[in-house]
Amino acid sequence: MSLATLLAQPAWPVLLALVAGLLLVAADVRSRAWVTMVAGLLVLGPCAAVLARGGAPAAALAPLVGGLVVAALARDDRDPLPGECALKLLWLLGGALALSAVGSALLTLGTGVTAPPEQWNVLQLGLVQRTLWSVALPLALLAGVVLLGGAPFHFWVADLFQGASAALAPLAVAALQLTGAVWLTERLAGIETFGEGARLTAAVLRTVAAAALLAGAGTILAQRRPERRVGTLTSIQGGIVLAMLASQLGRPPGIASLTGWLAAWAAHQSLALSGAALLARLAPVDRVPGEPGAHLFRRHPLTALAGLYSLFSLAGVPGTPGATFWLGLARVLVERGSRGLLVALALAWLAAFAAAMRELREGFGAPTAVPPERPVHWPVRLALWLSGGGIAVLGAARLILR
Amino acid sequence: MSLASSRLGNPRTVGGALCAAGFVAIVVPARFAPALGAELIAAGFWWWARASAEPARQVPRWSWLRRPAAALWLAAALQAAMALAGGESARTAATLALGTAIAAVAVVWAALELLAALPLARPFSDLPAPFADRGFWLPALLPSAGFLLLWRQAPLWLDVGYVRVGALFLLLLTATLAGLRAFGRRQWTAGLRWLVVLDGALAGALLASQIVSPGVAALLWIGAGGTHTYLLAAELEGATPRRGPVLAALWRATAWTSTTALGWPLLAAVGSLPLARAITVSVLGGLPVALASWVNVARMVEAPERRSMARPTSGLTLTRVAPALLISGLPVAIVSAWWAGFVPPWGAMLWATVPALVGGGAALLTFRDRAGTEPRGPEALESDAVPRAGQAARFAARWLFRLIVGLERALVWGAAGVLRFLGAPLRDLHTGDAQEYVLFLAGVAVLAAVLPLLR
Repeated sequence: MSLATLLAQPAWPVLLALVAGLLLVAADVRSRAWVTMVAGLLVLGPCAAVLARGGAPAAALAPLVGGLVVAALARDDRDPLPGECALKLLWLLGGALALSAVGSALLTLGTGVTAPPEQWNVLQLGLVQRTLWSVALPLALLAGVVLLGGAPFHFWVADLFQGASAALAPLAVAALQLTGAVWLTERLAGIETFGEGARLTAAVLRTVAAAALLAGAGTILAQRRPERRVGTLTSIQGGIVLAMLASQLGRPPGIASLTGWLAAWAAHQSLALSGAALLARLAPVDRVPGEPGAHLFRRHPLTALAGLYSLFSLAGVPGTPGATFWLGLARVLVERGSRGLLVALALAWLAAFAAAMRELREGFGAPTAVPPERPVHWPVRLALWLSGGGIAVLGAARLILR
Repeated sequence: MSLASSRLGNPRTVGGALCAAGFVAIVVPARFAPALGAELIAAGFWWWARASAEPARQVPRWSWLRRPAAALWLAAALQAAMALAGGESARTAATLALGTAIAAVAVVWAALELLAALPLARPFSDLPAPFADRGFWLPALLPSAGFLLLWRQAPLWLDVGYVRVGALFLLLLTATLAGLRAFGRRQWTAGLRWLVVLDGALAGALLASQIVSPGVAALLWIGAGGTHTYLLAAELEGATPRRGPVLAALWRATAWTSTTALGWPLLAAVGSLPLARAITVSVLGGLPVALASWVNVARMVEAPERRSMARPTSGLTLTRVAPALLISGLPVAIVSAWWAGFVPPWGAMLWATVPALVGGGAALLTFRDRAGTEPRGPEALESDAVPRAGQAARFAARWLFRLIVGLERALVWGAAGVLRFLGAPLRDLHTGDAQEYVLFLAGVAVLAAVLPLLR
C-alpha cells in the first residue's frame, strides 16, 4: 500500500483523534473519579469505531452512540452541567428517533415493504395516498437532521461542547453527526426512482440546510463562550452536509455516491473538533479588548497556533484542508443553480472565518512583559499538536493525491 | 542573532513588516492574494494596537479593518468556486451572474471602506494611530491600499454596471467630504491625511468613470497621492520640504499641479455626460479639487531654516529630486490618455482647470499681505477683516462635514437598532430549560409534517 493510499484512508485521522482524547483522559484521571474516566473511555472507543467506518450504511448505530454518550454524561455526578446536558440530549434524541420511527412505520404500513429502495418503487406506482407519504417522509428524516445538529436543532451541539469534557465531546459529536448523515443516506437510498418524493425531500433538506447555515451565521458571533462557538461551527458543518445531500438528491450519480465524501468529512471533523474543542477550553471567555492573552497563548504560542489550525480548518479558512469541503459545496451549488443556499453558505463562511480570527486575537490578547511561569500540562499540549499536525498532514495528503 | 530577535520582538517592526507584506500581496496577480494582503494589513494594525500604550482603546478602534479583508476573502472564494464549476444550464448561468455581482460588490466594499467612502469607518483619518509619536501618518496607508485594490481588481468590478455607478457616486462624495475636512482642519498634517483620502477617492472615481484607462488613473494617483504621502512622512523628519522658500515653493507647485492633473480628466469629460450627471460630477468633482488646491497652496507654510549655515551637499537630496519624479508621470499619463482617444473639446479642457485655478489662486491671494511683498501664513492673517471670511469658511466646512457624517452614523445606528429589535425575540426563543427541547422538537416535527402538505 503506497503512502498516498494510506493517507487517503479515513481511519488514521480518527485514530489520532482517539489518541488525543485518551491523552486528555489520562491527564484528567488524577483529578477525577476513575469510574467516570472508564465510562468516558468506553464511549470514546465505539465513537472512534463508528467514525472509522466512514459513510458505510449503519443507521442503527445512531441510537447506540446516542445512548452511550448520554450514559457517559450522566455518570459525571460531581458537576450538574454534564447531567443537564445528558437530560437534554436524551429528550431531544429520544424524541427525534421516536418520531422518525413513526415516519418509517407509516411508510412501511403504506407500502407493505420495509427496505427504503423498495418503498420508493411502490410509491412510484401511485398506489399510496400522497398525504400519507408526504407526512411520513419528513418525519422519517427528522432524526438525521437532529443528529447533524442543523438549526433549529443546533443547540445540543453547543451544549455538549460546554457540558461534556474536552476528551469526550469531539468524538461524540463527530460520531453523532456522522450517524445522522448515514441515517439520511440510508433512508433516502434509491429515492431517485420516485421523482416526486425526491423533489419533496430535496426541498425539505434545502430548507433545513439554509436554516442551519443562516442560524449558524447569525449566532456564532453572539456566542460568548469559546466552547459554544466551536459548537455553532459544528452545527454549521452539519448544514454543509445537509446542503450537499440536498444538492445530490434526485440527480445522477445520486445520494449513494456521497459515501466517500462523508468518510473524508467525518475523518476531518473528528480531528478538527479534537483540536478546536480543546483549544476552546484554554481560550479566554468574553475577553475585553486590551487584556493580556490566555495562559496557553502566552506560555506556548506555537502550541496555541497548532490548536488554532484545527479551528481554522473547521471554519474553512483558505489553505486548510477544511476549506475544501466549503469550496466543494460552493462549486456544487453553483453547478446546480442553488442561489439561496450559495448565499447562505457565503454568510456562514464569513461568520465562521470571523469567529476563528476573533479566537486568535482574543487568545493572544495584549502582550505582557513576562510570560506565565507554570507550563500547561504536557498531555494537553501533545493533544493539541496531534490534532493540528494531523490536520496539516491531511492537507498535505490532499495536495499529494490531487 | 540578538539584533534579529530584538527586531522580531519589536511590535513596530513586526507590524510594519505585516503591512509591507500586505501591500505586496494586494498587487500580486493571484486569486487569494488581495484578500491575504488586506488581512495582513489588518493584522499589522492589530499588532501595533495590542502593543500600544492604550490597547483597550486602540484594538477596537482598528478592528474594522477585518471587514475589508473578509469581503475580499468572499470575493476570492466565489471566484474560485465559479472557476471550478461546470454546467451549462440557465440556472447555472444565473447563479454565475449572481456570484459575479456579489464578488464585485465585495471588492468594491473592501476598497471603499479602506478609502473612507462608507459611513461605517469614515472618520478614521481623524483618529490617532497606535503609536502616538510616529504613527499619526499610519492611516494614510489605508486609502492607498483602497485605491490599489480598486485598480488591481478593476476587471472584476468595472463590468458590473450598477456597482460601478454606485462606487462612482460614493467616491465623489468621499472626495468632497475629504476636501471639506482637509479645508476645515487647521493642522497641516491633519489636512494632509485627508488629502491622501481625497487623492484615493478622486483616482477611484476616475477609474469608475472609465474615462481613462486604469493605468493612467494609477499614474495620476501616484503623482498626487505620492506627493501628499511624502509630505506627511516628511513632517516626521524635520519637515524638510517646507524648509526654505525654494523648497516650499517647489513642493507647493508639485502638490497643486498633481492634484489639478488628477481631477482634470474627470472634469474635462463632463461635457459628454447627461445634464443631471454632469452637474453632479462638476459639483462633487470640482469642489474637492478647488479645496485641495487651496489647502496645498495656503497651508504649506514655509518653515524657518534651523541652521545658520546650510550643510554642504551636492544638491541632489531626495526632497529636491522627489517632486521631479512625482510630476514626471503626469505628462506620461495625459499623453497616454490622449493616445487612447481621450480628446475632450478645448472648452471642456479649460473648464476643467477652473476649480484648481480658483482654489490655488485664492490661496495665493490670501497668502500675501496687503503690501504684496512678504509671504505670510494663514494664521498671521486671521486678525484682518478679509481672512475672517476664510475662518468662517473653515468653520462652515467643519460644520458641514460633521453634519453629513452625523447623519450617516444616525442612519447606520438606526439600521443596527432595527436589526437588534428584530433579533431580540430570536435570542429569547429558548431559555435553555430541558423541557423546552421536547416542545421545540414537537413543534418543528409538526411543521415538517404540515408544510409539505401546503405545497
